[in-house]
Amino acid sequence: MKKPASRSLIALSTSALALPGIAEADAPPLTSSLSYKISNYQEDDLSREQVPFGELERYDIDVHQFQFVSPLGRDYALFIDANHENMSGASPWFSTAGSNGQPVINMSGASGIYDSRSEVSLGVRYYGARGNIGGAIGYSEENDYRAKYVSMSGSRNFNNDLTTLTVSLSHSDDSIFPSDAERFNRVRHENKQASSVAVSLSQVLNPVASFQTALSLTGQSGYLSDPYKLQDSRPDGKTQITFSNSLRYFFIKADGALQSDYRYYRDDFGIRSHTLDLSWFQNVTRSFKIVPMLRYYSQSAADFYTNIDDFLKPLSESQSSDYRLSAFGAVSGGLSFVTDFGGWSATLTAERYVANEKYSAFTVAQPSPGLVQFTRLSLGVNYAF
Amino acid sequence: MSTNLRHAGFRAMGTYCEIQLYEASRISAKRLVRRLIDEVSRLESKYTRYRDDSFLSEINRSAGNQAGIKIDIETQKLFEHARSCYEQSDGLFDITAGVLRRVWDFSRRKIPDESELEGLLPLIGYEKLNWRDDTLLMPANMEIDFGGIVKEYAADTLATLARELGVRRGLINLGGDFAAIGTQPEDRPWPIGITHPEDSTKMMSHFHLSEGGLASSGDYERSFILEGKRYSHLLNPKTGWPCSGLRAVSVAANLCTVAGSFATIAMLKPEQDAIDWLTDSGLPFVFMDGAGQIGGPGLTDSSY
Amino acid sequence: MRLILSFIMLALLAACSQVQPWERGYLAKQEMAWDSDPLERALNDHIFFSKEASSGGNTAAGGGCGCN
Repeated sequence: MKKPASRSLIALSTSALALPGIAEADAPPLTSSLSYKISNYQEDDLSREQVPFGELERYDIDVHQFQFVSPLGRDYALFIDANHENMSGASPWFSTAGSNGQPVINMSGASGIYDSRSEVSLGVRYYGARGNIGGAIGYSEENDYRAKYVSMSGSRNFNNDLTTLTVSLSHSDDSIFPSDAERFNRVRHENKQASSVAVSLSQVLNPVASFQTALSLTGQSGYLSDPYKLQDSRPDGKTQITFSNSLRYFFIKADGALQSDYRYYRDDFGIRSHTLDLSWFQNVTRSFKIVPMLRYYSQSAADFYTNIDDFLKPLSESQSSDYRLSAFGAVSGGLSFVTDFGGWSATLTAERYVANEKYSAFTVAQPSPGLVQFTRLSLGVNYAF
Repeated sequence: MSTNLRHAGFRAMGTYCEIQLYEASRISAKRLVRRLIDEVSRLESKYTRYRDDSFLSEINRSAGNQAGIKIDIETQKLFEHARSCYEQSDGLFDITAGVLRRVWDFSRRKIPDESELEGLLPLIGYEKLNWRDDTLLMPANMEIDFGGIVKEYAADTLATLARELGVRRGLINLGGDFAAIGTQPEDRPWPIGITHPEDSTKMMSHFHLSEGGLASSGDYERSFILEGKRYSHLLNPKTGWPCSGLRAVSVAANLCTVAGSFATIAMLKPEQDAIDWLTDSGLPFVFMDGAGQIGGPGLTDSSY
Repeated sequence: MRLILSFIMLALLAACSQVQPWERGYLAKQEMAWDSDPLERALNDHIFFSKEASSGGNTAAGGGCGCN
C-alpha cells in the first residue's frame, strides 16, 4: 500500500487478522502418505596398524524405514513408523598398548554382535485453532536389547502464528541382555531409563526467514556401560543438556533455501560438543532439486575416557576406551537429489563421514585409534494419496 | 509442478461459490476442494440463522438467560471484529440490528409503523451485550447475526487453509466475495469483473486481484421502491429506517474480511461520508451513488 | 560463544517484521520446514547417536537401541 493506513484500516485489519481461520493455525496433513527409505551404511576397515590381530572390518548395516501418515477426521493425524536394520561386522572389544606404547584395538569376533533390530511406533496428533498436541509410543527389539518409549509434545502459536512454542516430553525404558553373557562373563540382564524434556521457540522473522531456538534436558539412569567391552564401567546416571539454534532462509533470486542448525551439548560425563549442520536446497526445475550438505561435529573426551584399558582398575571406578567417549572431530558431506512427479517424490542421498582427532575443537589428550569413517547411500520414496 | 487450472463450483452460504486452483502439486485437487468445501459447510452450519441447530441460533436462544452462554474462541474473535466494525462505523454496523427483520418484509414490500420500530430500538445496540470472561450475557429479546462478516471470513479462511495445504496459486469466490490464495502463473493477477448493479449483463468495473481480497455490498437485490421512494434493505440501527447512501460499493483490501467490512460500512453511511471515509482508507474502491453515477479511485489499476 | 549466540538471536528478533497471511508462501515450502525429510532426520539421529557421544536436540529423545 502506498498511503499510510487510516485508523479504520488498522483497526479493522487487526481484528480481522486475529480471527482463527486467518491467523494460520496448524492443519493436519490433507492426504495420507506412505514413505520408504532403504539405506546402506558401511564403515571403513581399520588398518593393521590400528588392529594388530583379528578382523579389520567394522560395521555394514542395511536399514529399511517405513512411515505411514494419515489424517483422521478433520482435526487429527495418525503416524505409524517401522524400521528394520540388519547389521554385520565387528566392533572394538578392548584397547591395549602396542609395541610402541601407542593404543591398539582388539576387535570382537567376526560374527558380529548385533544381528538385526526392529522398531515400531504409533503416534496421534490433534490440531486445534491455536496449536497442536500429540503423543507416541514405541517399541524396539534386537537379539540383545529391548526398548519401550513414550513421548508427548504440544505446540502453541502466538502473534498471528509468527511465534510457536513447543514443549515435548519423553520417557524410555530399556533392557540389555548381552549375547554370550556367560562365556564372556558379561552382565546377564540390566536396565536403563531415560527421561527427557525439551522446549523450543520458533519465530518467523520475515517472509523468507524463520529462526528456532531450543533447550533440552535428559536424565538417564541404570546400566549405561557397554557390556561388550572388556573393561567398560560408566556411572549409573547421566544428565545431559542441549542448546540448539536453527535458521531457515529462502533466497528468492537464487530459488534456493539455506538450512543451518547448530547444537551445543554438555553432559556430566564431562563431554561437551558442537554440531553444525548446513544444507542448501537448490531448486533446479519445478520438480527437481539438489541438496548439498555439510556437517561439522566435535566433542571433548569423557572424564573417565582412556585410550588404553587399565585392567587393574576396579570396576567401581568409571573407565572406558570406547572411541565414542574420546575427544575428536568429524566432518561429513553429502549430496541429495530430490525429484517430484504426480503424488510421488524420490530422494537419492550419498554421505561420507570422517572422524579424526585433528578435526577436534577441543583438546585431545588421548586420541582414540578407533575413530570411524563411513559411507552411506540412501534411496527414499514417498507417495501421497 | 502441474500448471493446470482446476475449477470447482458449488452452492454454499445461499449463493454460488467457486474455487480455482493452480499447481496442486502432490495433493489431489479433488480432496483439497472437498476439504475447503467442508470448511465452508462448517462455518455455515455454525453461523447460519436459518437453522435451529446452528450455534448462532443457540446464542440467540440464550437471550435473557442469566447464566449466559459460553462462547468459543472463533466466535469470540468474530464478536471482536464486529465490535471493531461497530466502532469504526460510529454505530451504524451493528450485529444486533437483526431484530428489525421482525417488522420489515422486503419480499412483500411491507413498511413498518414508527411505533413498531420504536418498540424494537431498545433491543438494538452492540454496547448492550454483556460479557463475563468468555460468557456472553445477552439481554432478553435481543438477537445477533454475523451476516455481514461470516461469508468474507469464510473466503479468507479458505484461502489461508489452501495456502497451508501447499496451494500457491488460486482464487476463492464465495458469492462475489473473493480471496486470493496466490497469483496466477508468472505473477499474473486474477481478473475480476464487478457486475453493474442494475444490469447484470454489464460490468461496473474490473479489478486485478494479486493478493488479499475483494468484497462488494449493494442494495440492488433486496431493496424495493414504493411510491417512488427507494427502501434499501440496509437499515440504520439507530432509527430503524433504511440508509440512503451509495447503491453499490466494491472494495479491495489485504483481507476479504476487511474489504467486506469497509464495503458494508460504506453502504450504511451517508453518501459523501462514505466516499470520504473510503478515500481516507487508501484502499481501491468503486461505487455507484444514489444517482446511478459510478466513481471511485478505481479498481482497474494494479493491486492496492 | 553463548554471548555471541544471544546477540545473534537478539539481532534476528530485531529483524522481525509483521508477515501478512498472503506473504507466507515461501515459508510454507518444503525446504523451509524445520524437518524437511523426517526419515532422513530419524536416520541421521540414529547413526550419530551410535557413533558419537551427543544426542538430543529440538525434541525430547525418542527410541533407544543397544548401539551406544
